[in-house]
Amino acid sequence: MITKIVIAILALVLAPIAGALITGVDRRVTAWLQSRYGPPILQPLYDVLKLLGKEPMVTNTWQALCAYVYVVAAALSVVLLFIGSDLLLIFFVLTVGAVFLVMGALASPSPYSQVGGQRELLQMLAYEPLLILVFAAIAMVTGSFKVSAVFELSRPMLYDIPLMFIVLGYALTIKLRKSPFDISACHHAHQELVRGVYTEYSGPYLAMIEIAHWYEVILVLGFCGLFWSTSVVGMIVLVALTYLAEIIVDNVTARLTWRWMLKSAVGMGVVLTIVNMLWLYAQ
Amino acid sequence: MLDTLVFATVLLPFLVAAVLLVLREQNVRKVILVATAGVLVLASLAMLRGGAFILSPAPLYDSLVTLGDFVILLVVLFVGIKRRNQIIIWLTAAQILGLVWLDFFMVEGHGTTPAFFADDLSLIMVCIISIVGSLIAVYGIGYMKEHEEHLHLAKSKQPRFFFFIVLFLGAMNGLVLANNLLWMYFFWECTTLCSFMLIGHDDTEIARKNAERALWMNVLGGTAFLFGLIILQKVAGTLSLADILARGPEFAVAGGAILIPMFLLVFAGMTKAAQAPFQSWLTGAMVAPTPVSALLHSSTMVKAGVYIIVRLAPIYAGTYLSNFIALFGAFVFLATAALAAGQSNGKKVLAYSTISNLALIIACAGINTPAAITAAILLIIFHAISKALLFLCVGAIEQKIGSRDIEDMRGLYARMPRTAIITIIGVITMMLPPFGMLMAKWMAIESAQGQFLVMIMLALGSGLTVLFWCRWAGILLATPFGKPQPEAQACSVRLPLVILAAMAVLVSLASPFVYNGLVAPVVAMYYKAAAYTTSYGNFDSGSGVFIVYPLFVLLGLGLYFAVKQSRKVTAAQISAPYMCGEQQTVDGKAGFLGPLGQHVAAASGNYYLEQFFGEAMLSKWINVVALAVLVIMLFGGAL
Repeated sequence: MITKIVIAILALVLAPIAGALITGVDRRVTAWLQSRYGPPILQPLYDVLKLLGKEPMVTNTWQALCAYVYVVAAALSVVLLFIGSDLLLIFFVLTVGAVFLVMGALASPSPYSQVGGQRELLQMLAYEPLLILVFAAIAMVTGSFKVSAVFELSRPMLYDIPLMFIVLGYALTIKLRKSPFDISACHHAHQELVRGVYTEYSGPYLAMIEIAHWYEVILVLGFCGLFWSTSVVGMIVLVALTYLAEIIVDNVTARLTWRWMLKSAVGMGVVLTIVNMLWLYAQ
Repeated sequence: MLDTLVFATVLLPFLVAAVLLVLREQNVRKVILVATAGVLVLASLAMLRGGAFILSPAPLYDSLVTLGDFVILLVVLFVGIKRRNQIIIWLTAAQILGLVWLDFFMVEGHGTTPAFFADDLSLIMVCIISIVGSLIAVYGIGYMKEHEEHLHLAKSKQPRFFFFIVLFLGAMNGLVLANNLLWMYFFWECTTLCSFMLIGHDDTEIARKNAERALWMNVLGGTAFLFGLIILQKVAGTLSLADILARGPEFAVAGGAILIPMFLLVFAGMTKAAQAPFQSWLTGAMVAPTPVSALLHSSTMVKAGVYIIVRLAPIYAGTYLSNFIALFGAFVFLATAALAAGQSNGKKVLAYSTISNLALIIACAGINTPAAITAAILLIIFHAISKALLFLCVGAIEQKIGSRDIEDMRGLYARMPRTAIITIIGVITMMLPPFGMLMAKWMAIESAQGQFLVMIMLALGSGLTVLFWCRWAGILLATPFGKPQPEAQACSVRLPLVILAAMAVLVSLASPFVYNGLVAPVVAMYYKAAAYTTSYGNFDSGSGVFIVYPLFVLLGLGLYFAVKQSRKVTAAQISAPYMCGEQQTVDGKAGFLGPLGQHVAAASGNYYLEQFFGEAMLSKWINVVALAVLVIMLFGGAL
């Protein structure tokens, strides 16, 4: 119990810092791919500190509420992951945050924010089933939905459910808001809507959302890490390679419309899941 | 004592209904309704405290039930002839013949089978019907007053309305307490008739049409029920539910013959629960006044359908029928969630989400493990509360803004702050942790592990669920900053809303106790073992864990902190919504500064994704697939 509480506190404190660093590295690598110099690694941290110091401005009070609930839910889901709780439960807590983020966006009459909110819902519609399927497959291998059960395996899950790792990668791209699936909160102009769902969040509230996003980055990378649960080195290598692949995908793909995203995510997810499951049964 | 309680929950509503039918005095009706509601609530709680029982009332009642059966069938036949509906006529004629055969030639020794038997499942159902149903009836007082004022009726039709509403509650209580399946059949037909009368209450053309459709679909179910009983009598030699359940393991081994009546009874349950391809009667039922929809969708009618399916689950456990029921349920869960996602009509969203959740319950019954049955029972409880709440909210909103379209509810918080918040509470208790609905869904998905097709459909369906709930809750909040105008609402409307909202949260909070006290014993009784152990209020199944109280505490603290932070926002910190720099506010409404200085109002709408989730396009295919699964289910045994 005591160790669990210590781990929980450590996760709570370290996860956003790690998330910020990863985002910083991401920006450097992206800059390198685009032949730019790029910002310092700590830039995301500076950005958020600056945002925190700004005067709060919102269009209505609901947005403040939604931003805080989002960060609480995101932090809680990371804590649940690190204390080895139930995968589906973690996913549902993650959903709480996502739902409140969208509710905050929809609480403003601005059309940009509204469209962003709708797009974010479609992104959720695309990645949520994929994550549930991945967790179901993990449960097939370990016999349990508990994260702790994954660490009792004698060989990495990647051997048993490699296709599910691809499914997770798909969900990862959507959840990390990487191109071509940066449909709802794109940094660039190519989605014809810049920062969509984030439009109306500013100052400290935007800082909350950035922090929540760092938590989520750690969470989804944590899911990736589970696929090589037998060694810490293997886990780090797998996560690093996956993230590098994400950055490359982000930089080499153009935009896709939400229709394409929905069809491909669901279609590919279901097909790969079935194939992988049949393979598991056949073994 | 027991006699009195059964009398109060089953027979009393019939008597009160009769009084209400002849009574024209408004105030007395109010008093009687509230008093009946109070008696029902207390009696159901007392019955719950008393625990399981078996009861045989006087033989006279047996004859009365038989008489009642024929009266109802003749009324239905009369309706069928009047409306010239061939389906109703022939099905009812078949039922009359079947019933004559069953009652007078097959069943011997009427009255030897105890009429009533209750275990924790029945008692849970009685509580849901009596508490949630009564609250809806009370809400009906204020709602119908405004409803009739709006219609400018020369003569109030409320006596008839409340006659059927209260009758409905009595019939439902009888249905879930019935041990003798002939009695259950009587109450089953009662609910069919009540729902027909209530759907057609407003007597508009569309109301008549939809009522007729509801009737023929439920008469089909009733026919399946009756012929299920006839075959059951032949196969098992008894119509006592308790006997059949007790002999469940024996039947499960024998397989074969018992599955035909089981299929027919489950099929009857599916029609009553408005499963595809019969979903159109429930979506059509929303032409009725809101209390009717609320009643049909939450505590009565459709719950009778899933009750019989869950009730019989131990008997068909481990058979091909069970697997197909799981598959069917999962498919309808996904399909109707998709239909809900394509709707902007608030009541239709609720209707499809009801069908979807009922399908999830049916899928759980089909998965048929202790964990799945636990999920099914918890879903029945929590769905009844939250769905009743949401329907009553939409009714109150509709009377105020004159529309049930979600798009018209944009910024509702400014006009109806209390109702908007209560609606959001309803939506959140439907889809997010740590509330009971979501916990039950968690149990459902985890117990589907191993049946991968079912799992895939459940995963896709839950994604859709979040989509249509979230956007609804979100746009209610699209209001400018400032104190909303206080909301005037009749007391009989406001109180049920507040009580149901409180129940939605508190019963979820008490879920470990509900589970330990009511659900675990009944699951353990029929499945030898309970699925979850609870420690400190956390559900643990060995293969998964759901932490109820830490989640409640942490998310609750988070919400408290968030509310505190949002309270700090002052008017000076309010900025106008982002309009790309071309902001122009006219009459407090944000818009764009257009060409030539023209004001262009900002307008936005939800994505309803017609090309994916259009009702006209999807329904056809859904019906075909659902029907195909049903046919395979029926003949699958032969394969």
